[in-house]
Amino acid sequence: MAEQSSELGANNHTEYRFENINNLIEVRGLKMHFPITQGLFSRIVGYTKAVDDVSFDIREGETLGLVGESGCGKTTVGRCIVRAYEPTAGEILYRESGDLTDDLKKLRIHVHHFKADDKVSTGHAIDLARLSGKDLLPYRREIRMIFQDPYSSLNPRMTVFENVTEALKNSRWVSRSEMENIAGELLKRVGLRPEYMVRYPHAFSGGERQRVVIARALVTNPRLIVADESVSALDVSVRAQILNLMEELQADYKLTYLFISHDLSVIRHICNRVIVMYVGKIVEIAEGLDIYTEPRHPYTEALMSAVPISNPRHRKRSERIHLQGEVADPSNPPTGCYFHPRCQYAKDICMQQTPELQDLGNGHFAACHFAKELELRGAVMG
Amino acid sequence: MTTPLLEVTDLKIHFFTDEGVVKAVDGVDLTIERGKTLCLVGESGCGKSVTSRAFMQIIRKPGKLVDGSMLYRFKKDDGTDEIIDLAKLDPKGKPIRQIRGQEIAMIFQEPMTSLSLMHTVGQQITELIRLHTGATKHEARNRAIEMLQRVGIPKPDRLIDEYPFRLSGGMRQRAMIAMALSCNPTMLIADEPTTALDVTTQAQILDLMLELQNDYGMALLFITHDLGVVAEIADDVAVMYLGKIVERSDADTIFNNPKHPYTQALLRSIPKIAMQRDELEPIKGMVPSPFRRPVNICQFQPRCNQRFEACSRVEPVSTLINENHSVRCLLYEDVAAVHQADTEAVAHG
Repeated sequence: MAEQSSELGANNHTEYRFENINNLIEVRGLKMHFPITQGLFSRIVGYTKAVDDVSFDIREGETLGLVGESGCGKTTVGRCIVRAYEPTAGEILYRESGDLTDDLKKLRIHVHHFKADDKVSTGHAIDLARLSGKDLLPYRREIRMIFQDPYSSLNPRMTVFENVTEALKNSRWVSRSEMENIAGELLKRVGLRPEYMVRYPHAFSGGERQRVVIARALVTNPRLIVADESVSALDVSVRAQILNLMEELQADYKLTYLFISHDLSVIRHICNRVIVMYVGKIVEIAEGLDIYTEPRHPYTEALMSAVPISNPRHRKRSERIHLQGEVADPSNPPTGCYFHPRCQYAKDICMQQTPELQDLGNGHFAACHFAKELELRGAVMG
Repeated sequence: MTTPLLEVTDLKIHFFTDEGVVKAVDGVDLTIERGKTLCLVGESGCGKSVTSRAFMQIIRKPGKLVDGSMLYRFKKDDGTDEIIDLAKLDPKGKPIRQIRGQEIAMIFQEPMTSLSLMHTVGQQITELIRLHTGATKHEARNRAIEMLQRVGIPKPDRLIDEYPFRLSGGMRQRAMIAMALSCNPTMLIADEPTTALDVTTQAQILDLMLELQNDYGMALLFITHDLGVVAEIADDVAVMYLGKIVERSDADTIFNNPKHPYTQALLRSIPKIAMQRDELEPIKGMVPSPFRRPVNICQFQPRCNQRFEACSRVEPVSTLINENHSVRCLLYEDVAAVHQADTEAVAHG
């Protein structure tokens, strides 16, 4: 089946070309609008623009952070990429793997029954947004998701073994003993004892369950993992364990992460690049530490100033930026720049024109009319 | 040192479940002073919420306060102090009802579940005001509007007639705070009040709470697992682990000169913006099951990176390093005392 769909993909999608060959995913003009219905016949009275014209790249092997406050659409972006949602508009270009490491090739051939020359060459792109049903299946194996709450994302009526190997069953027939081997290896890799696979999820603590969830994501040998608030529900001491584990696994399995979180310090720790979202739009993209040291969008500045500093000597309550009012309603956003009603630098143009994401050099982009002029404060790094 | 508002000694709260007794709080000593902020920090399941619930005698079944005293300095109308032991009060009796809401108020983590869905914000606040002050409906309503305005809710005279589900998370938490403060409490217990909120909203709420504390001079007991929040607001910090307070000092000492291995490990395990990527050092192992906690030895010992031979035999007691800093760890107990305990343990064993 993998064979079929890669053929199909190659035929259907020759028109797509990647802007950069190092990208694994290129998202172009992604929109996800949810209808608001009313009355007996569910008349559509409006749309919640959860994601509104978002474009970004995910480079192979990187950890891309997606930050923003609740309701900004970051989870919706993640869900569109794993195709849990069908986007309203836009492209999600996915580069098929051509050059795998020998290990991964072996795993693909033996475990997933791919043929040795199964994959089209590097650079062929598939638009995930246009595929549906069976055509998506091979990509569902390659793009996996980890959720926030390990208590609700594991099936309590299935043992850990069944939870972990369920995705394997959908792809092909695998003997029980082989599945046990695979699950055992993975559990060992994520730091759990393979004997525990006969137990049910309730017997595990939060951190252990999150390890099981990670093992479950890895079982299909994915290339991209969308981690949606994957450490937010964990205790601090366990959170560090899981973050370190995710970094190790990334090196071992050549994984790419889209790491969605509201926690700027966690993002700082694990991500190579950061995207900041506000009310369904990207307001800033920056490499490495740039977003913390030199934010170029007033919203990012406010976000940075709100992060608590873990040292009482650096208290900065007095200089903190107080955002006025509430986050805009995505079904009825303000005119112009969505942030202008709360922005302390807002001018007339901000009320009339929606700012485009502009290139500021060094991979830094910001959607603000005054991105080049404003002198904004970064987070306290001391 | 000023006279404490609340002095807790050897508080023990045990949960009698079918599977066995869970010692959720096992000998906690605390003092809370007027106008000061005490942060109670710890991971989930360490007993910090149960401790705070004990002060209002609202421990859920099958939990039971089995031992300890909670001496509360109650200011009477004529200006004299009366010391009440909250632990001795009947949870259903009249005296504790007067203290709840009026003397000691509480804010909970998730405002959606702690506000009633069936009543408007106004109804809920006025009920409390009328109960405690005997104000008329009209007076109580005015007072409620005044409080809502005080906590920064726009158009309070309109919002007072809204139901909680119509408000955003931040606004709901503000309404909760307005309700808690409406009777001018002497002590406010805030149980993870900002955990469910976004960072920018969290910053607003924290600033608001400190501002109100300044204005009304109340004592604040702040319960959280977020060390960043602690660093922002605490005067004093108490770190809890498995039902015991392992370290207690002022905020600056806890963050810059922590003594207990658990506090040190906790501080190293939180990702910080100012930190290099490779510095994150998790605490090994995990919090043991409540039924399998180590007994009569150091409870942190299995996860500790500084443990030595005596740790698996002797239970450390709280040791004062200086008048303002206590640690429950054998590393800081007098070597002689350790030896004595050692010999005793050998003799008993």
